[in-house]
Amino acid sequence: MSNAAKPPLLRLANVVSGYSELKVLKGISFDVAAGDFITVVGPNGHGKSTLLKTISGLVPLTSGAISINGGPTLAKPHAIAALGIAHVPQGDMLFPEMSVLENLLMGAYLAPSKAEIDRRLDEVYALLPKLSDRRNQIASSLSGGERRMVGIGRGLMMGGQILLIDEPSLGLAPLIIEQIYGVIAELSKSGRTILLVEENPARVADLANHLHLLDDGAIVWSGPPAELLARDELLTTYLGG
Amino acid sequence: MLDILIAILIAGFTTGALYALATVGLSLVWGSMGMLNMAHAAMLTLGGYSAYTFSTTLGLPVFVGFTGAIVVGAIAGGLLYILIVRNLLKNDKATFESNVMIATVGVGIALENTILLAYGGQPLKQPISATGSLVLGPVSLPYQNMLIVFVVIVLMAVIALLLGRTRMGRAIRATAQNRDAAQLMGVAVNRVYFQVLVLSGAIAGVCGLMVSSMTQLSPPLGNDPMLKAFIMCVVAGLGNLPGAVAAAFGLALLEAFVQYVAGARWGFPTLLFVVIAVLIWRPAGFFGRLQIRRM
Amino acid sequence: MTQISRSKGISGSARLDLLVSLLLITAAVALPFMVDSRYVLGQIVLALFYATIASQWNLLFGFAGIFSLAQMAMFAFGGYVTAMICFYFGWNVWAALLPGALATVVFSLVVGIACLRLTGVYVALLTLAIAQTMYLLIVTDTECFTMVGSICRQFTGGAVGFARFGDLGTRALLKGQWLVGNYAIIATLFTVTMIVTYIIVKSPIGLAFKALKDNPGYAVARGINRFQAQLLVFGISAFFTGLAGGFYAAHFQAIGPGILSMSQLMFIIAITVVGGVGRFWGPLVGTIVLVGADELMREVGEFRTLGLGLIIAFSILLMPKGLVGRAGDLARWLRHRSIAGPGTKLQENRAAAVE
Repeated sequence: MSNAAKPPLLRLANVVSGYSELKVLKGISFDVAAGDFITVVGPNGHGKSTLLKTISGLVPLTSGAISINGGPTLAKPHAIAALGIAHVPQGDMLFPEMSVLENLLMGAYLAPSKAEIDRRLDEVYALLPKLSDRRNQIASSLSGGERRMVGIGRGLMMGGQILLIDEPSLGLAPLIIEQIYGVIAELSKSGRTILLVEENPARVADLANHLHLLDDGAIVWSGPPAELLARDELLTTYLGG
Repeated sequence: MLDILIAILIAGFTTGALYALATVGLSLVWGSMGMLNMAHAAMLTLGGYSAYTFSTTLGLPVFVGFTGAIVVGAIAGGLLYILIVRNLLKNDKATFESNVMIATVGVGIALENTILLAYGGQPLKQPISATGSLVLGPVSLPYQNMLIVFVVIVLMAVIALLLGRTRMGRAIRATAQNRDAAQLMGVAVNRVYFQVLVLSGAIAGVCGLMVSSMTQLSPPLGNDPMLKAFIMCVVAGLGNLPGAVAAAFGLALLEAFVQYVAGARWGFPTLLFVVIAVLIWRPAGFFGRLQIRRM
Repeated sequence: MTQISRSKGISGSARLDLLVSLLLITAAVALPFMVDSRYVLGQIVLALFYATIASQWNLLFGFAGIFSLAQMAMFAFGGYVTAMICFYFGWNVWAALLPGALATVVFSLVVGIACLRLTGVYVALLTLAIAQTMYLLIVTDTECFTMVGSICRQFTGGAVGFARFGDLGTRALLKGQWLVGNYAIIATLFTVTMIVTYIIVKSPIGLAFKALKDNPGYAVARGINRFQAQLLVFGISAFFTGLAGGFYAAHFQAIGPGILSMSQLMFIIAITVVGGVGRFWGPLVGTIVLVGADELMREVGEFRTLGLGLIIAFSILLMPKGLVGRAGDLARWLRHRSIAGPGTKLQENRAAAVE
């Protein structure tokens, strides 16, 4: 079947999904190997978010297969999370009435022990010291950038194998975006596998090792991000220059 | 004058405690599942009659009767989930909301009438109650009232600890605040719903026992507390548990005062006016978060 | 969820509706000749009232998605206004029917305005609270408003209600056959209500209601004014319900707070649910089934309410589309099989995977 002895961390095969009769993804196939930093770009409304939601199970799969470490395709989001998919959703989706700490603790819902939870918490606080400062603050009272950080921190608390990050720059000021991407860069450097959806490929040019261009629910181009940025015709056609 | 005031306060606090218990059970389910459990009244009644059966018919000690009400209520809640709610959850939110209301109306009617057929319609005395009062100078505090308030306070503390400090409680709150995000964290929301209904059922069981110890045991026992619990949930704001408790005590005291001043029959209409006013002018409730509907 | 419901060709379903209507009208005309028992005919008249109310609740909830629990309050309002006009002003019942209906419309608009910012269960709770308030205000009204002979009468009639304020005139005209006369009148009321409801449902207004129910965001984006539509459907639904209430009071020559009871409301809801929420023929089918079942259960009187509760719960659970919906599914399935033959797998929604 596959050349590699070990199955990839994540494999999508002809994934078709969408909402009731409307199909958003029309046959997506690609792999994510351990340690990869893969980014998905494309015009808005063409399926980038739906792609991540389909992987994490929030959007039902119509046909195709999504296997994690070669395993069978699962349907329920909580089972998929248990297999190591940590989805940091678009717009954060924090628990608004919980504190920062409680949000982080929810991230560690599936953690096996209190010791493990504490260990992960220390890691997250080390990476995102602001969260430690504001640990008792209620999530709904945080600023946009802080919320984004809580979302990422919460995803990290899941201790998963793959981090799915959906548009981390959405709605943030440029300075904050830089900070967020700084954190993401550190995560990648420390060996984390990341699948990231981004509107602007320039932001991830130095970070990602591979890029997929998604248009109208299908992958129209794949390759190193730097190459995409060099191809003007792709940029203008799909990403409006 | 003072002793009338004290009497009103005692009555108000006691009924407030009872309503608070009824309201918490309702608000828990409503907040975490978006479900208005119209069978809640029948579950209260079931609790009262279960305790009665354990104590009187089976002659078991009071403690067993009390626990029995909790257990039977919990089982009823669990069955409600397994048989009815679980299947209805497959629909979208709006359909689920109305369908589950209708279904629980049916269940409530069926349950109330089953009790009616089994025990008859004439009121019974709840044996699990206390008689006598504590006399402090001019003030006479009935033991029954104190017992009720005590039990309710203990239960509230237990529930607060459960929701605030345990992993299961956090999962329940997370599901209530953002169901999708909770799923992403690995929460099996179906199991959460089951737990919530079991918990709500247990609370309803105790509440029914307490209510029947104050008044009498009869099949329509739960209807009045449930309706008032709805009102208090709305006034406080959807899913807001502490607010609901505050609203319960506040409105119970209001009811007690109005009943004294204007007569017993103005008690309930007053509450109705309050909820109508709230629904019109502050639909999110006094403490609730506003769900933005830009339409 | 956006359900793009495909009508199988407008003319196709309309033709079916027309056929069913003609059959029903024929049956309705023949009925009094075939039914000997006064009791049965009386029950049929009562059933027609239920069907009328249910058809209007179906319009409000099934088509427009507004979960109102004040339907019986509307019914009672119309009945009470009609009765009170006759009682206090001595008008003939026929003259008081229209004012009764119009007054109900005004009442419903007030309720509709109160509900404008609310959705879902909140509408249910507000309408329930209003209905309960109305019931309580009537039942606990003990002040003497007028004296009839030596008997104290309350303004709202109190727990006793109103009686002997007039009737439809059939007793004077038809003597012994007055019930048949009333039957004809009420059957006409039902027919007219259904016709007007049909026209509304199939008209652009009706489509606007459905759009607002199925996909409010899209509907509003397309220019449908939610407030106007909501008030309109409240008003229409209230007119016929209030009118039916007036006729009810006239037919039974009495009206009291009993019709505001929970069990009456539940019966209407049950009828609509069993028949099929949002289906035009649902209320009629539901009425036939439930009134029939009710009659059968009359033998085991004490289990009647229990049976009703179970029917409501099981219907919504097992047959959410109601009997009419199921029949429609069956027809569609049969047609699909005859066209495509066996082996055609219908696209089963794996939406269940989300849970």
